[in-house]
Amino acid sequence: MSGPTPVPKATDVPAQVFEQFLADLAKAEVSAEVVARLRKTLMEDQLFTDAALKQAIFGEEPGS
Amino acid sequence: MILVDAITIKDFRGIRDLTLTFKGKNFAVCGPNGTGKSGVVDALEFALTGNVSRLSGEGKGEVSLKQHGPHVDFRNNPDKARVSVTLTIPSLGKTVTVERSAKTPNQAQVTPSTPDVLALLARVAAHPEIVLSRRELIRYVLATPGDRAREVQALLHLDRVENVRVGLQKIANSAERQLPALVAAVKAASENLLRALAITELTAEKLLAAANVQRAILGLPALTEVTATTSLKDGLGAPTVAKPQSIPKAQALADLKAARDALDELAAPALATLVAELTTDISNLAADGAGTTGVAVENFYATGLSLIEAEACPLCDTAWDVAELRAKLQAKLDGLKEFSRQRKLIERKISPLNATLARVRASLETLARHAALATPPLQLTAVTEFATACQAGSMQLNALLPLLDTIAVLGRVRTEPPEMRDAIAALEVVVTALPEPGKQDSARDYLTLAQERLETWREARRKHKASSEQAVRARKISDTYVATSDTVLIGLYAEVQKDFAALYRFINKNDENAFTAKLVPSIGKLGFDVDFYGRGFFPPGAYHSEGHQDGMGLCLYLALMRHLQGPNFTFAVLDDVLMSVDTGHRREVCALLKQEFPHTQFIVTTHDPVWLRHMKTVGLLGGKNGVQFRKWSVEHGPAEWHDRDVWTEIDEYLQQNDVRSAAALLRHFLEYTGGELCHRLRVPVEYRYDGQYQLGELLPPAVAQLRKLYKNAKEIANGWNQKETVAALAEREAAFALAAQTSQVEQWQVNVAVHFNAWENLKKEDFVPVVKAYQALLSAFTCPKCNEYMHVSPDRETPESLRCDCGQTTINLKKKT
Repeated sequence: MSGPTPVPKATDVPAQVFEQFLADLAKAEVSAEVVARLRKTLMEDQLFTDAALKQAIFGEEPGS
Repeated sequence: MILVDAITIKDFRGIRDLTLTFKGKNFAVCGPNGTGKSGVVDALEFALTGNVSRLSGEGKGEVSLKQHGPHVDFRNNPDKARVSVTLTIPSLGKTVTVERSAKTPNQAQVTPSTPDVLALLARVAAHPEIVLSRRELIRYVLATPGDRAREVQALLHLDRVENVRVGLQKIANSAERQLPALVAAVKAASENLLRALAITELTAEKLLAAANVQRAILGLPALTEVTATTSLKDGLGAPTVAKPQSIPKAQALADLKAARDALDELAAPALATLVAELTTDISNLAADGAGTTGVAVENFYATGLSLIEAEACPLCDTAWDVAELRAKLQAKLDGLKEFSRQRKLIERKISPLNATLARVRASLETLARHAALATPPLQLTAVTEFATACQAGSMQLNALLPLLDTIAVLGRVRTEPPEMRDAIAALEVVVTALPEPGKQDSARDYLTLAQERLETWREARRKHKASSEQAVRARKISDTYVATSDTVLIGLYAEVQKDFAALYRFINKNDENAFTAKLVPSIGKLGFDVDFYGRGFFPPGAYHSEGHQDGMGLCLYLALMRHLQGPNFTFAVLDDVLMSVDTGHRREVCALLKQEFPHTQFIVTTHDPVWLRHMKTVGLLGGKNGVQFRKWSVEHGPAEWHDRDVWTEIDEYLQQNDVRSAAALLRHFLEYTGGELCHRLRVPVEYRYDGQYQLGELLPPAVAQLRKLYKNAKEIANGWNQKETVAALAEREAAFALAAQTSQVEQWQVNVAVHFNAWENLKKEDFVPVVKAYQALLSAFTCPKCNEYMHVSPDRETPESLRCDCGQTTINLKKKT
């Protein structure tokens, strides 16, 4: 270690995981509508309860 | 993110009134145990986060911030307990003050309270890990993989990542759990439809062929295709009042047979064996000590976990830190994993029984509908009751809990009401006695019933399809999340692991310059193995010394913080975290903090004055960036080693004629100052392993050293032909000699009259001159302008000058060559 180690960017780990997750979901052919709902729940509203996640995944679909 | 310029603490914890000025620089609080250092740490944490972790969380019992944050004399007046900090926020170019009282810890008075400042302070408050104590440091290193994972998760705020993982998995599992019942419903609907159509296989061709035969009888046009909305009775008028709907004889007979087959399947030995096995499995689960409530408690914890949104327990409203409460519930859930495994096995085993119950229920309900069409209608009470019992039993089996209820269901679910078969036989008699319908009536009945069952089948299929799609989607989302979070976290841990090893090598380069480490994440765990001198990878506590483990803890913490906060890692409090690091590595730890974290302000507490020296000599601390607590009292809190304080305090003792206390304080102060002077003047002192030096071992050598330095300086000035300097030095030398002589300090070892033990026996008027003499002597070591003790520079290698901090005094010690 000859000089100070370069300081990494600040890592908001949950935000990093969620962002990558949403990008991977799009690649996994999950509908854009569901991805948008999950983005709002996780990134904007920051709701992490089962009820909020279920609402994001199934929306208003019957039987959900 | 922030730099702390100053803190003022009033009546908080063990501190009455204290102001420390950090000026945004590294700062050390040094003092023996019990002198109030931790009070400063608590106050810093409180001001920045509104919490004192020492007073909250697991194992803190009935201790609370509100009740025990205030000084003990103000425990009933928490508003008096106040801490205010002045911060610089470089990113905003603002200086901010934050003040909190223990009465309302979460309501900080912020000036200026602009949105950008408040948002930044909220981010600071969300990072209580800026305070690191040795207890927390060891939790990273010596914890079990599960506990370590929780600690690191808390540090990296991974609880959200984990909560979402658990939530998505639960949703996927739940969606999949609904499918078997829906499959059974489709199968039952399909069988009913086949019976109505009197065909053996449900294909479009066979369905059309069978329906069109009947339609032809009724003169209806043949259907050419089966779509989602095709009606088999398309064109057929509704039943008239004059000719109400009757029991379709042929189908009813087929349904009677199907019902008996389903009941026989339920009564068959194979199912009896299955029910017996399930009863044993569930009884074992229920009989297990922890298992009696285990599964129910698992549901309880899981539900609780999903309901935590505010900073309170969702059950009893007790205030909790959200992350801590989630972690606690998750830990409890982890402990119930064996029950989860057994539960899943039982759920799989229950599936065929549920399918049979669905078939029995569907076939009995069909019979009940036929019975209602009889003239007069038949009341198949036993049949409908058993169908209802099958449905309720099926629901209980799906729910599994309470276990005793499920066991009770298993005990009765195969038991038919004694009169049920008779009721079925009675219906059969009625059906058999029905006249054979005419071809047209038969065709009409056929199409009506077939259409009814086709719609039921379609609805069952639609529900199953929708649920299947939901289950597939939920599983895909859950699997994607697990894969993504694993990838991100493995990448993060790989970076932290590399940084950690580099930091550790920095402080151990003399003996572990090839050190590496492995952070191995797995679900719910974080393995941590370190290289031991090339002999392999082992847990940190296996072979490394306690001092090395402390070093590892600090390095892991620093690596995690650097990756968590990046350039925002500008402030940290290290509360006695390196107490067992051996002296050989202390200098390197100081150098590490200075070199690797040049933009981070460290507030360090230590009870070891040697540490303080290392921090100063390495340059981690500036000359005045530290405070030495010398004692603590409940009335006054910590007292510092300030000259002004000491002489005033001695004078106060003497005013009260308390020579004994005045003498003790003078001795302690001279011992402290003697050490300081020996360090500053680079005085050779007989080494003591325990670091416990007496006054006679420090102050006389310091006096001798300054005499020697003046003498050398005069010779050197003469060498440079600096007559005026020589004269000035001679004047200083004479003044110093007089002060030393007056104090008689150099006769310390031989003259008992000047020894401390004799002081306490002196009268006040005899001791006052002693005090004055020592005050004058210490003053002779200082710069007349800045009043700081002079020091030899540099602090190692060949001395070049004797100087003070302000630069007013600079005496050359370099010979002319």
